[in-house]
Amino acid sequence: MYKLILKLAFDNAFLRLSRTMLVIIMIAVSMSMMLSIQGLYDGMTLSMIEKTKRSDSGEISIYAKGYRLSKTITNSIKNVSKIKKVLEAKPEIDALAIRIKADGLSATARKSSFSTMIGIDLKEEEHFGTFSEFLKEGEVTFSKRGVLLGSELAKTLKVKIGSKVIFSAQDSDGEINAMALKVRGIMQTSNISLDASAMYIDKKVLQEFLGIPKDAAMQIAIRTKSKTLENSLVAEYRTLEVKSFLSLYPIIKQMEDMMVIFNSITFFIVMLVVFIGIMGVMYVSILDRIREFGIMRSIGLSYKLIRLQIFLEALFLGLSGYIIGAILGYAALSYLKHVGLDLSAFADGMESYGMSKVIYGDIKLSYFTSTLLAIIGASLLSVLPPLRKIKTMNTIEVTKVET
Amino acid sequence: MIKIENVNKYFYKGEDRELHALKNINLSIEKGEYSIEKGEYSLLTGPSGCGKTTLLNVIGALDSFDSGKIYFEDRELGALSEDEKTTIRLNEIGFVFQAYNLVPVLNVEENIGFIMRLRGFPDSEIRERVKEVAAILEIDTKLRSLPSTLSGGQQQRVAVARAVAAKPKIILADEPTANLDSKNSKALMDMMRSLNVTENISIVFASHDKDVLESVDRVIKLNDGEIIES
Repeated sequence: MYKLILKLAFDNAFLRLSRTMLVIIMIAVSMSMMLSIQGLYDGMTLSMIEKTKRSDSGEISIYAKGYRLSKTITNSIKNVSKIKKVLEAKPEIDALAIRIKADGLSATARKSSFSTMIGIDLKEEEHFGTFSEFLKEGEVTFSKRGVLLGSELAKTLKVKIGSKVIFSAQDSDGEINAMALKVRGIMQTSNISLDASAMYIDKKVLQEFLGIPKDAAMQIAIRTKSKTLENSLVAEYRTLEVKSFLSLYPIIKQMEDMMVIFNSITFFIVMLVVFIGIMGVMYVSILDRIREFGIMRSIGLSYKLIRLQIFLEALFLGLSGYIIGAILGYAALSYLKHVGLDLSAFADGMESYGMSKVIYGDIKLSYFTSTLLAIIGASLLSVLPPLRKIKTMNTIEVTKVET
Repeated sequence: MIKIENVNKYFYKGEDRELHALKNINLSIEKGEYSIEKGEYSLLTGPSGCGKTTLLNVIGALDSFDSGKIYFEDRELGALSEDEKTTIRLNEIGFVFQAYNLVPVLNVEENIGFIMRLRGFPDSEIRERVKEVAAILEIDTKLRSLPSTLSGGQQQRVAVARAVAAKPKIILADEPTANLDSKNSKALMDMMRSLNVTENISIVFASHDKDVLESVDRVIKLNDGEIIES
C-alpha cells in the first residue's frame, strides 16, 4: 500500500514537469546562493579571526599582571626562558611567540605618529603565524637596522621602502632614547590596531634599546587546538595574566555573532522562498486534482493516506531542489574557498575594517545538514494550507460531473 | 444487506431555498431477494433531480442524511464516524462513476488493483485477480496503458474492473453509461450483468438510460425524492 502511495506521490510531483522544474530551479538557485553567502560570511569572519591570531594573540596570550592596563616596560614577564621551556614541553601547544613591546613615537622629517615597537624573532614568528605572508611591499628582513612597518602606519608617515624613520621611547631607566631605522618592508596583517601602529624590529635590538633584561618579555602568544589549556595555564601561572583570544578581541566575537545573525536572516528568507514556492505549486496542483482526491476519498482512501501522499509530493519537490542546490552550492563554495572573491575595487575600505582584498569562502557540513532539515520542514509545512482544502472538501460536490 | 428506514434528507436546511431531497425513503436491498442465485441487480430511476444520485450517495455512506436509519448489514451508518464510513466504502462497497474517475498517473493494471492494494491483498493475488477481471471486461490487452490513451468505453470498463476486483458486497453505479455511446453502453451492461452472475455481486444503478432499464431485475422509481414504485 505504501509503495502505491509513494508511486502516486512521485508520479504526481513530476506530472506537470515545467511547473515542477520551475519550483525546483527556484529552490536550487536560492539555496546555492544562500550557501555561497553563508560560506563567504563565515570565510570572512574566519579569515579575520585567523589573521588576528597569527599576527598577535594566538589562541592564548600570557602577559605580566597589569601590563594590559599600563603598558610600560617595567610590567614585563620575568624568567621567560624558564616559562618557555615549560610551555614547549606541553604537547598540546603547537607554537609560541615571545614578544617585547614598547609604545613610543615614530617620526619622519615631516610626519609623526604614535606607534608600538614590537621586538620579534622572525624564525619564531614564521613558525607561529607564517609572518612573511603579511608582507605587502619590500622584504621581511631586519638587516642594517631594518624595520617592518604596519601598512596604515606607513601611510600615515608617508614612507616607502628604504625611507628612514626615527623611533623614540622611554627606556628602563626612564630616559628618552631614539633610534634611526630603515623601512625594509610594509606588513598588512588585517589586524586594524597592528596595521595602524606596529613597527617590527629584531627582538635583541629592542631589548638593547630599552635596556631590559634578556629574560624579560611583554607577551607570550600560544597557538593550540586544546580547549582546556587556558584553564590549566590560568591555574599554573597565577602571578601572570592568561587571556584567551576572545577575551582579548571581544569585538571579533561580536562580529562573529553578527555574521550568525546575517546568516540566519538569509536562511530565513530562502526558507520562506522555498515555503512559498512549494506551497504555490502544491496548492495549484491540489486544486487541479481536487476531483481525483474526491474520487479517492469516495472509493475508500483515508485522509491519512492522502495526507501522506501530499507530504511525499512536497518532499520530492523540496529534496529535488535541495540536491541540485547542494551540488550548485558546493561548486560555488569550492570556487570561493580555493579562488576566492576578489574585491580589490573596494579593498581600501575593506582593509580599514581588517578585511582582505580577496575573500575566501568556508565550507561546513552544517550548512548542508541544517539546510536539509529546514527544507524538509518548509516542504512539510507548506502543504498544510492545501491539505486543509482536501480535508474540508465535499467529496460529492468535487466528484460531481458538470453537465 | 442494506435496510433503509424512513430516511429524509434536506439540502440548504433552514434556508429559504430548503429542498426536501429524500422523503421518508424505506427500502431493502438484500442479496437473493430478487434472485436466489445471484446478487441484487437493481436500478434507481426517475427524472433528473428526483433524488436517485442522492439516494445512491446516502446508501454508499458518501453523503449524510437528516433523519431515519440506514443499516449496512448490522451497522447503522448514521452512528459511524467518517473513518468508519471510509473503511466500509473501502472494504465493502464498489463505486462506478459517470466520469470514470481513474487515477491518471497509474496504468490500467494499477488502477484495477488500486483498491485491492489499499486493502493489503498480496501482490500475487492482485496480479491474478486483475488479469481475471480484465479478461472478463476485455481490457486485458491494455493493462500497461495509461487511462488517457483509452477510449471512453475502455475507461469505464477499467472503472468497473476497479470496483469489482476487490470483491465488494455491493457495487453502486451512478450513470455508468451516461458518457458512452449505445454500443458501448450495451457492451458495458452485458459485462455488468455477467459480473453480477459470475461474481455474485449486488449492483445498484442510478440511471435513466433505457439500456440499463431493460437489463435490471428490479426497478425502483423515484419522483421528487419519494419512492413511487419499488
